[in-house]
Formats: sequence, C-alpha cells, structure tokens
Amino acid sequence: MNIVGAVRQANRPGPPEDSIRLRVASGATVFVAIGACASVGELTRAQALGAVALIAVGMAFSYRTRSRPPGWVKVVVAVGAVAASVRFFHEVVTPGAGVTSVEGPLTVLMTEVLVLHSFHVPARRDLMFSIGASSALMAVAGAQAIDLRFGFYVVAWSALGLWALTEMWRAASGGGRASPVGLTAAFLAMATAAGAVFLVLPAPNVAAGAAFLAKEGLGGSIGVPGALAGDSGTPAQLARAGSPAGPSRVGGYLGFADSLNTALRGAFGNTLVMQVRAQRPSYWVGKTFDTWDGQNWTQVQPAHSTRRLNELSPIVLPVADGDIPLGQPDLQTFYIASFTADLVFHAESASELWFPRPNVFFSRDGTIVSPIGLGQGSVYTVESQVPSSSPDQLRTASGGIGLPVSVQQEDLQLPHPYPRVQALAESITARDHDTYDRMQSLISWIGRHTHYSLDIPPLPPGADTVDEFLFGNRIGFCEQISTSLTVMLRSLGVPAREAVGYVPGSYDPITDLYQVHADDAHAWVQVWFPGYGWQDFDPTDSVPSANPAPGSVALHDIAAALRHVPWFPLGGTAVFATLFLLVLWVRRTRPTTWAERVARYAERAGRRAGRRRRPSESLSEYARVLDRLTGNESTRWYPLASRVEENIYGHRECSPDVQRQMIRLAKGIRGSRRSFRHYAPNRAP
Amino acid sequence: MRPTRPLAPMVAAVLVLFLWWVVARNGGSGWVQVLGDIVFGALCIGILGPSLVLARTKVWVVDAPADCVAGRPVVLHLRCSTRLRVRPLVPPGDETFARPGNETGGTPVTLRPERRGVFDSVTLDIASAAPFGLQWWRRRVRVALPTPLHVAPRRGRPDAPSLRQSDEAGEVANRPHRSVGYPRGARPYRPGDNRRLMHWRATAHAGELMVRELERPMAQPLTVTVVLPADPEESERVAERALGTLALLFERGTEVLLATTETTGPVLAPVFDRRGAGRRLARAVARPGATPTVGAIEVTR
Repeated sequence: MNIVGAVRQANRPGPPEDSIRLRVASGATVFVAIGACASVGELTRAQALGAVALIAVGMAFSYRTRSRPPGWVKVVVAVGAVAASVRFFHEVVTPGAGVTSVEGPLTVLMTEVLVLHSFHVPARRDLMFSIGASSALMAVAGAQAIDLRFGFYVVAWSALGLWALTEMWRAASGGGRASPVGLTAAFLAMATAAGAVFLVLPAPNVAAGAAFLAKEGLGGSIGVPGALAGDSGTPAQLARAGSPAGPSRVGGYLGFADSLNTALRGAFGNTLVMQVRAQRPSYWVGKTFDTWDGQNWTQVQPAHSTRRLNELSPIVLPVADGDIPLGQPDLQTFYIASFTADLVFHAESASELWFPRPNVFFSRDGTIVSPIGLGQGSVYTVESQVPSSSPDQLRTASGGIGLPVSVQQEDLQLPHPYPRVQALAESITARDHDTYDRMQSLISWIGRHTHYSLDIPPLPPGADTVDEFLFGNRIGFCEQISTSLTVMLRSLGVPAREAVGYVPGSYDPITDLYQVHADDAHAWVQVWFPGYGWQDFDPTDSVPSANPAPGSVALHDIAAALRHVPWFPLGGTAVFATLFLLVLWVRRTRPTTWAERVARYAERAGRRAGRRRRPSESLSEYARVLDRLTGNESTRWYPLASRVEENIYGHRECSPDVQRQMIRLAKGIRGSRRSFRHYAPNRAP
Repeated sequence: MRPTRPLAPMVAAVLVLFLWWVVARNGGSGWVQVLGDIVFGALCIGILGPSLVLARTKVWVVDAPADCVAGRPVVLHLRCSTRLRVRPLVPPGDETFARPGNETGGTPVTLRPERRGVFDSVTLDIASAAPFGLQWWRRRVRVALPTPLHVAPRRGRPDAPSLRQSDEAGEVANRPHRSVGYPRGARPYRPGDNRRLMHWRATAHAGELMVRELERPMAQPLTVTVVLPADPEESERVAERALGTLALLFERGTEVLLATTETTGPVLAPVFDRRGAGRRLARAVARPGATPTVGAIEVTR
C-alpha cells in the first residue's frame, strides 16, 4: 500500500457510533476539563460557558448526522482549526502582545478545536479524540493549579473518563450491562498502577521553559519607592519596626522591616503566606542585616537607597557583594497566597528574575524589593545559583575572590567588645583549625547547651541579647540563637551576617509545592567563605539537603495519618459490621422451605464427598449418584429427593410432621461421617 | 495470546506519556504528574488489562447438536465468564459477541463447517478489549463439545449404477419397501416405530397404541464400498458422491451395508438412514497407502 492509500485507510470514516451514553460521557469529560481550565483562570467564564454550550449543540448535531455526516462540516472544521492555529501562533510570537506564558493561548486554541470537532464526531474514534483532547486541557489546567481544590476536577474528570472508556468497551462489544465487579477491579488496578508510578517517579522538576510565570496579584503601589512594605493591613502599607507595644508585622514576624529587634518575638499566625515550586528546598531569603547594636539588627545600606533595575523579564540581577555564583542553578516560582512583605524572596544568590513589573530595587547585599505590594495572586519566578559546596571544600576554602574591605568591616562589626563571648567561642573552637569546623563546633555547642522556646518574656531595655542568651538561662528563639552564633563568629574574626526569610515549608507531594506559612518565618546565619561566598547555616535547625521524592513524602504522610487513626473504635465498628453482614447473608441464603432444606443437605453431603451437583442434574438424578457413591442401604437420598420433587413439581404437600421427618432424615444422612466411606474419587460417575 | 494490531495504541500511549512528561518538565506541577499517572494507569489497564482478562476467561459449550452437514450453518450455545468476541476457527463460523449471563441457553454461535469430519471440540478465537476498549487481545482456545459433532458431507451427485435391471421380459420382481413387509401380528408401540405401521383397530381393542409387526423385508442388502483418496479435496468430493448414492438407495428402500475405513480400521456395518450414513462418512478416512486423487464407490450385492 502506498502512502496515499495508507492515509486514505487511516482517514476512512469509522462506523457510526450509536451509543448515547458514550457521547454523554465523552461530552461530560470535555466539560469538566473546560471547567478546570476556567477554575485556574486559563479561560474566562464566558469562554467556558460558550464552549460548553457549543459543544453540547455540536454533539447533538453529530449524533443526528452520524450515519451520513455532511461533507461541508468537515471542511468547516478543518478551516476553523487552521484559523485557530494561525491565531494562536500569531498571538504567541508577536512581541509586545503581553503574553507571559504559552498556556493561556494554548488553552484557548484547544478549546476552539474541541468546539469545532464536536460538530463532526460520528464515530467511536472521534469520541476517543475528544477524551484525549480533554486530557490535554486538564494537563494545561493542572500546570497552573497550585492547591488541592483542583483535586475535585481531577476526581471528576477521572471518573467521567473511566465511565467514557467503559462505555467505549460496551459499545465495542455489542452493548449489555457492565459487570460491577469487573469495573471495580479495573478501577482498583488503574489506581494501583497510577499510585505505583506516582510513588516511584521523582518530582517533575522544571527543566525548560520559554517564559516563566510572573503575574501581578492584589497588591497596589507603594508610597515610597524601594521602601519595605507589607505590614499588617495591606500589602502596600509601609513596614514599621517592631515595638513591645505593637508587634504587628507580616504574619507577626518582625524581621521584614528596616530593623530587627531581637528582644521581641512577634505573634505568628498560621496563615498560608505563599507556595513555592522549586527544584530543591532552600531557605527563602528575604533580606540580610549586617549591623548589630546589641539588641537590633540593621542594614548599613538602607532599602530605599537600592539600585533600581529597569528591564523586561527576565531581569538579570547583578552579583551581590561577596556572592560567588558557582552553585547549581535552581528555579523557584513563588505563588503569593495571602500577602507578605514586598521583598522578593529567593534561594541564595539570585541571578535572574521574572517579575510582573519591569523595575525592581536591588541592594548590594542581594536584597530585592518589589515596586508594588505583593498580595494574593502575585506570582514571580527566580533563578538562583544555589551554593553546593561540600564540607571538605569549605574546610579548605582559602584565597579566591576576597570580600571587599568595606563589606568585610561591616560583617565583622560589633557594637562593643564581647570578652565573655569571645572567650567562650575560643574555648569551644580551641581544637579547630578552619572556619567550617569552628562554626560546626559552635553550632554543636549551641545545640547541646541552649533550648528553643517562643514563650519567653521580652528582654529588658538596654540588655544585650547575646549576653542574656549565652550567659543567662540559655532559652531563646531563632533570632537570638542565630544572633549569638553571628556574634561568636565575628568575635573570632569570621565574616557573618543575619539573614531573615522563610524556611522551605512543608512539601505537598500532590501539588509539588512547598507550603510556606506565616510561622515559617525564620532567621539564620550567613557565613562568608573565601572562594565560595556566602553560605547558609542554621543553628536552630538543619535543612534537608535533597528534594524529597513525592512518593516517600506521601508514604510518610500516610504513615503519620495511620498513627492517628482511632483503631479501637474503628476495629470494633468493623467487627460489628462484619457480624451484621454475616447475619444478613445467612438469613438471605437460608432455605425457606423444607424442600429447599433437604436439597441443601443433599448438595452439602455431595460436596463433602467431592461430587458437586451439576447444573443439568435434577435432584433425583443427583440423589441416585449420591446413593451409588455411598453404597450403603441405610443412607438413601433418592426417596427423599423424589418426595421433594413431588412437592415442588407435583404440588403434593406433605403434612408438617412428614416435613419435619424428612428434614430429620436428611440431616441424619448428611451428618453421617461414614456415609461415603466407600467413595473413592477415581470411581466418581 | 497476542494483541491485535498493537502498534497504533502503543505508539499513541508512548506519545501521550511523552507529551505529559514534557508538560510536567515545563510546568513542574505536581498536578500534571498526578494526572499523567492517572492517564498512565488508564493506558496500562486499557492496553494490558485485556490480556489478564483473557487469561482468566473460561468458555464452555452448553449445547451443541451431534450432526450437521458441511456447508450448512449449525448453531451451538456457549457460555463464558466475561464478555468476549468469539470467532470459530475450527470448524469456521460467524463472529459474534458472547456475554456472561444467567440465560439458560447461552450465547448462540453459528458454525459453518466446510468439510466433513468429527469434532470433539471447537477451536475458538476469543478476543477482549476489556475494560476500556483501547486494545484488543486475542487467544485461541479449544472448547470440548458435550457430544461429538459429526459433519456429514454434502449430498453429491449419485455415483452408483442403476441396479434396476431391464424388465423387457417382465421377470424382474419389484422389491418391497423396507418398511413394507408381510404382516405377522401386532405389538405395542415403541418409540421410533413408523407411524404408518399403526394398527388402529388393534389400538382401539387394546386401549394402547399398537403397531403392525412385519416380517423381514425381502430385499437383500447392497454393499456400498467407499474408498477415499488421500487428497482432502478429492476425498471430500468422493464422500459427497457416496452420500448422494446412499441417499438414492435409501429413497429406493434398499438395505445398505456401508464399507469404509476409519481411524480404527475397516468398518462394514449396515446404515439405515441418511443421518447414519452421514456419520459414517464423517468418520471415514483414506486407507493407508491410498492413491492421492483417485477414489471409488462400489455398489455390490
């Protein structure tokens, strides 16, 4: 067959599909997919409603004309699909069209194709195309979904898709009823296969993309360009320094302001602040502090004096002071869920930024400030060069690019001598010869000798946080712990600074997003190593080093959930339900007449002897076989079977006494263990 | 067991999964992976599931006739444990869909045997695309018949010479019909007796059905010897002619002894009707050392 013949063969119209249920199931699958796209904002409500209405009309038209589809419909569908494709490519490649990602136009294109196609679905394979195309729509919607509510669409689409597929099998096999057991088995097998793949596959890391996500949400302009904002009110309200009277910052955290008062602890909420999609967990740094006054951290260079970068996305960020971008590239997309500071959070050493506005403020320590308030719906993407140096490399770190003198002075600054702190640090690190080991010894000592608590009273005015923490009751929170480590390192001559931001948050294996809550706000230490730049160290806790596999996280979550299951009441309920079902089953299967009971006894006796009753055997025939098997004159099934058949087919009723006698006889024969002592299986008739 | 035209579904499945992987790699969304896993699971079950279904399927024949004629349809009823597409291969027949169910008769399957023979079983090509109809798998099964199916040859042109001699002298006596003899008495009716032999007066007298009892027919049996050639096609033609000859003899009321060769050896036994003749010819085989193409039908007294 030549190519033309093969194409003709492939395009040969299939037999018309008569199953209405298959059409309804296919259409419903498409409707759910369109609804899913509308739910994530890829289609407007009007577009979605219009598409659903047109597809319903198209499906009805296709059903009416399935036997002889008009030729002009195919032409119209083809021309329309070409026109939609041309419009799509024009929209995507035209510069300045405002397209930030390809998903939106792609969704519209696929919806248009589905609408056109719905007018020409005479055969089963055309309906299969509709189901397949709906899966593509779901993929586009899933790529935009960032919360578990999308699961409703996934469940609905999966259920309808399964229905459509089973209807397809029914239509292909000539109709009839589907077996519920078979369907359940198929569903369980499918769920098992899908679950196994989900548990085995690693998270879908972002590997390539033409345009990364950046979207402006609810925020508003900030009054002072470059100033820190995002206080408790609106995203655009300027941030205020914390005070004992009103510790009301973003989520209760005091660090996202020009100064960080370590004597105070904000009242954290559990609000979901943002969700982060990243290739590996990192500390999402917001800003750093280099100047310590004994109780407050500040930045030598205030935020409003930052440089303003005016570029279109991606904005190439300058290298911050002391940064050495030698790490592994890591792409992070931040989805702001409520509102947070106008800081652009990122993993360490940000290099490129996709942002909804062309201008951001950048300070030399690497802090990035948004020109707008970052409220719900804001999305931005950052590429960072995350440091990946090993402990051995850091132990031998020397030379290379040095820290500028002015910066070094700032990061070694102390407000006054700390003789006790210095003596303590030197005694702890007396046996260590390099910066890394010294720092690890200090972290280890802090871990052994201090305690973490949020429930401590504010420090008295004028008290030094580090002295109070290290030489007081040694109870504190992350700002005090990290500040103590910073001061100890600085007293040993190691450049270090305070960093604030968020810990990675809890990982959701379904959405593949890190859920960052308000109480994930954190402070940690950045230590400068020659040749490797700033490295994050957290004396309060340790950071996981690798991106967890969705499967292991899901299993861990399941195990944790199982531990909280109230097994005793559940077990009791299960036992009770089993007993109840057992009683029901016994009642339902119990013979209702004496004839049935006799027949049941005979069959049970035959089963015990290894000779089941065949479907074609009458009871008397079966009784003869049983009598032959026993060979014992005292056990005669045949007379009983004859009476039963007379009763059933001849309508000759027996008196109750006779019935009882019959049952007693049958019971006696059935109960005789030696009834079949002559029976050998190989002599079975 | 093998899939039917698996290339297109397999390629489509691989393509779909690759596209999902590309979308997941570009979007990095966990939902894409979840959806992709569901699609993968559905494709897995849709493509491989039918093989499991077929491996567990049970098919059995609940009812089948014992006799039929080559080239004519014969219907047997079968049951199966799951929904199947059934196509009889040996003997060949029509494709149909069989469904499990509680109907007593089972699913009718029409066989159209092309040649004579005796079949203890039928070979079926069963296929399933359960549960999603994405990929068909097929498997050959041999299903035992409740009773052997004898496929008689078609009735061919009679090959025997006319035994009716010239009656110019008027000396050839007309042989009586087999069912016509000289009445000897009456006896109670037994199933299978010719209804023309009912003796109504005796029936009225005795109060039960009575039939005439006849003396043995006067006709001497003829011996029809069928020698089948080795070639199957030619053998079929000879068997058809033999059946035609035998049918002609039966119509004349002749008692016939049929000599054939069966797998157990030569058989010489009387045949009384077309059904019996058909069964004998169905079982007949070429004798060892038979010529490839030349068969023979000899009628001797």
